[in-house]
Amino acid sequence: MSLLRHAQRHIDNLGRYGHLNAFVNVADAESVLARVATAASSSPTDNVDPRSPNGRLVAIKDNICTTDIPTTAASGILKKFKSPYCATVVRQLREAGAIAVGKTNMDEFGMGSHNIHSHFGKTKIQQNGVDRSAGGSSGGSAVAVATGQCWAALGTDTGGSVRLPAAYTGTVGFKPSYGLLSRWGVIAYANSLDTVGILGNDVDSVEGLFDITNVYDDQDPTSLDASTRSHLPTEAPAPSRTFRIGVPIDYNISTLDPTVRKAWLRSLRLLQERGHSLHRVRLPATQHALSAYYVLAPAEASSNLAKYDGVRYGTRAEGKDGTPDSVLFAKTRGEGFGPEVQRRILLGAFSLSAQAIDNYFIQAQKVRRLVQQDFDKAFATPNCLTDSNDRKTEGVDVLLCPTAPTLAPKLSEVQDQKPLQAYMNDVFTVPASLAGLPAISVPVQENESASAEAAGMQIIGQYGDDKLVLAVARQLLDAAKAS
Amino acid sequence: MLARSPRGALVLLQKRSYICQSCLRRARRLPLAQNQFPKARSIQTATAPPSTDDAPFRKTLKEAAKKKKKDERAASGSSRNSSKSRNPRLEKWELTVGIEIHAELNTARKLFSAAATSANATPNTHVALFDTAFPGTQPHFQKETLLPALRAALALNCEIQHRSSFDRKHYFYQDQPSGYQITQYYEPFAQDGHITLYPHDFPAGTCPEDGPVTIGIKQVQMEQDTAKTVQQPPSTHLLDFNRVSHPLIEIISLPQLHNPVTAAVFVRKIQTILKAVNAVTAGMEMGGLRADVNVSVKEKDGNSSSNIHSYHGVGQLGQRTEIKNLASVKAIEDAIIAERDRQIDLLENGGVVEGETRGWTLGSKTTRRLRGKEGEIDYRYMPDPDIAPVFIGQDLVDHLRQTLPALSDETVSTLVDGTTYGLTAKDANTLILLDDGDRLDFYFDVVEHLRNMFSEQPEVLVRLGKVAGNWVLMELGALFKNEEWSATKVSANQLATIVAHLLRKQITGSTAKRLLLMKFDGEERSVEQIVSDEDLFLRPLTHDEYLSLAQSLVEEKADVANGIVKKQQLGKIKWFVGQMMARSAEGTVEPAAAEAVLREVLHLPPVEQK
Repeated sequence: MSLLRHAQRHIDNLGRYGHLNAFVNVADAESVLARVATAASSSPTDNVDPRSPNGRLVAIKDNICTTDIPTTAASGILKKFKSPYCATVVRQLREAGAIAVGKTNMDEFGMGSHNIHSHFGKTKIQQNGVDRSAGGSSGGSAVAVATGQCWAALGTDTGGSVRLPAAYTGTVGFKPSYGLLSRWGVIAYANSLDTVGILGNDVDSVEGLFDITNVYDDQDPTSLDASTRSHLPTEAPAPSRTFRIGVPIDYNISTLDPTVRKAWLRSLRLLQERGHSLHRVRLPATQHALSAYYVLAPAEASSNLAKYDGVRYGTRAEGKDGTPDSVLFAKTRGEGFGPEVQRRILLGAFSLSAQAIDNYFIQAQKVRRLVQQDFDKAFATPNCLTDSNDRKTEGVDVLLCPTAPTLAPKLSEVQDQKPLQAYMNDVFTVPASLAGLPAISVPVQENESASAEAAGMQIIGQYGDDKLVLAVARQLLDAAKAS
Repeated sequence: MLARSPRGALVLLQKRSYICQSCLRRARRLPLAQNQFPKARSIQTATAPPSTDDAPFRKTLKEAAKKKKKDERAASGSSRNSSKSRNPRLEKWELTVGIEIHAELNTARKLFSAAATSANATPNTHVALFDTAFPGTQPHFQKETLLPALRAALALNCEIQHRSSFDRKHYFYQDQPSGYQITQYYEPFAQDGHITLYPHDFPAGTCPEDGPVTIGIKQVQMEQDTAKTVQQPPSTHLLDFNRVSHPLIEIISLPQLHNPVTAAVFVRKIQTILKAVNAVTAGMEMGGLRADVNVSVKEKDGNSSSNIHSYHGVGQLGQRTEIKNLASVKAIEDAIIAERDRQIDLLENGGVVEGETRGWTLGSKTTRRLRGKEGEIDYRYMPDPDIAPVFIGQDLVDHLRQTLPALSDETVSTLVDGTTYGLTAKDANTLILLDDGDRLDFYFDVVEHLRNMFSEQPEVLVRLGKVAGNWVLMELGALFKNEEWSATKVSANQLATIVAHLLRKQITGSTAKRLLLMKFDGEERSVEQIVSDEDLFLRPLTHDEYLSLAQSLVEEKADVANGIVKKQQLGKIKWFVGQMMARSAEGTVEPAAAEAVLREVLHLPPVEQK
């Protein structure tokens, strides 16, 4: 099938699945197709490389800046905002021939696990006529991929925002190691955790976009510098290599959905059958990771979102703002931010306040360090950022665990949930975020039956082992399909 | 226009006679458009907070000056000299002051973007995306900005920290685009410094200390400046983001100052040091330096139960208050005096000092409450997750230490001690302080030229420094009294040439002054050319010509001559000298020779040789 026909099909799907509300703004279809035609003519054999984005439609999460389409972060305060500059990752994809089809819906500023906290309405999936959560916060990107509205999509992952929607929608969602992909032009939620992530229907498309964007960028002060990059493996491991797979038994919680547990056990069995070995791993700090995350991320968010005042850009509240006792944007911020964003700003402002910082922010930073140490103890490869030890023979190469404790919940259930219950969905994804590790979610069915339900399985690697994580994900996906 | 180029505007205004000169001098010390603090305004770098009454700036100045005059008149009626006489209250109470000084660093680029720094550029022309907090942008630390900061810290004898880091200090204000200021709260780059104040640092006769006094510097930190608010009365505030993220240093002193004069001298000395090592852009006069002061008092011999407070590790102090945003040395001194007296009044009347933030307005007699403890802003300091810690190598520190320009204490001693300059301590300090050090540079140039001209004459060489000092400070200084200093109006070379002619007795003193005025008024011919064109060379009269001139004068004014001889009215000899000069061609009569001849004619003893 030619690039143009692929593109036409994606655009058709945009209309067909419009009710799922995956996009906030879409590019003009005519000009998108014109660009595809141009890209297709430069490669007359059509695009046979399953990894190349040349002439392919890519969806961009709406917190990644583009100059031609507005960038709203799904917030009322930026509902008409058009960025004067383009994010580095967007530029990189465009230079590789990708065509931006639109900006995808999300939880406002990335805060949410079900994509219901958007100024532009919720994004959802439908299974057997039931509305279910698309997962958040990159729900729009995941739905766009899952329903064929694009070839692949960019998301962002702060505590699981790419992996969780991937798990709920049955797509592949990859969060690379922190610092590999440029954050220049990515609207910050929690800088020390924010990572650009990639969603696709297979590992090839995801890896293709990763290879293009995995480049040092001097615009991003947290971009991993060239000399440290040179110590990281850049090649995929040899196909014949067998891996030591870690099974974190701390993740086998009592509330784990039976379908998820079955898919997990099946995944382990499939990999074992391919000659890889399984090993029990303890990650005791994991039980505190979620609390630490929900202290640290809101703290950074309360700081990062202080800039939205409608003074230099963004939308101001109607009428006069400010009183003699307040600044000139109290009303603007009150109207512009949704309830979940306001909740996290308050939470973060509290945990940074003089009376709380020692008991919350500082403690959470300590937990974060413990979580990282847990992972370092488990992996055979030393963490290139923190120590220079040799490989440990007893360590594992990757960890395999579920991405989320349940399958996609019904939308009607999550809408009535207390915030704390929604936060629980991130329990398995947050530890890798706190440690900055590469992690990918791939869909694995609970059994071989064609109609069986799929759960997201998460593969986590040591810092910088992104290629290894992608290779294991490909093997697991292949094994699940073949059996 | 005022806001864009304050200095230039002031110079222009000065030329209009109907503007009060003392107002203008005051204006130089004041950042523009400041008179009131809004309640919610946070402290620090705080620019010029918008006024709530929006009175035009010049009017405010005039009113302040008027009020002050009135107050002084009132005071002179009752208790004049109160400052001179010993104040018994000050014997009983001890004042303690700590100061935080903010200074704009002299850097090419902003602290966290590659945008250029600027003082008077068109508003909003030097602004990077990050400076205005555009979504998705990140800070780019400009490491070159460390250099002037390090020079400043070294000059203040600080220990440079190998590792330092940046934190966010949160507060909302429209001049703060990101909603926080990036500063160094947890790990400042320099700590534990000090400066020593010597008697020569004080204005003559005001030194309250016995001998040198050393004041500790707790830390020096780097931080961002805010945007500039430009008022458009009645109710519009324009924002100029050129200044956003201009690098600042904040210098935090220990609470070791016990006298308002010492506090003022401390700030002035820091100003001088920062300028001497080329660390800052401007003096306090242009808003380049701003200070907050912490003031407390305690009874010297009182029971210490109420002195339970400890600030920066200095203990047993009374409850302090903070006075924010003082923009001149004079304001610092006046505000401390007012706050000290307020606290003593309060305590002596059985009251309690509240820990609060207070403000001080130009020309007022008291400080004003801005907000109490309960109204304090919680800045929610958080390490900035986008900025890596800064590591400063010892090699860099060593290099900067070795290449540090001479500091003012060393400069004073160079100017005062030894034979090269031979100035008085007072003249030396004046030279250093004037025109941000430009006057000193000019002086050095003049002396350098003169030394070349008289290199063969050691007896003249030893006098050069003093003579040049006199001409640079007094004669030239008088011409610049109402005008901004310029080193090019009369070049150092031309002034040296005038002085050299005088020293060689080629021209008279009054000719020299006339030449200086001509050059000052824009005369383009060289000094040599003017002297030769206008035939100004001293052509001394012969002894006989002197004698005949003197004799004819004495005969003409016999009564005056009689008075001199009989009543010993020796002062009147000078009158005759003046007459002799007036009646002769310019440059022919030397006062000393004329007096000698007059004495001869009147049979008076010759003038004693000093």
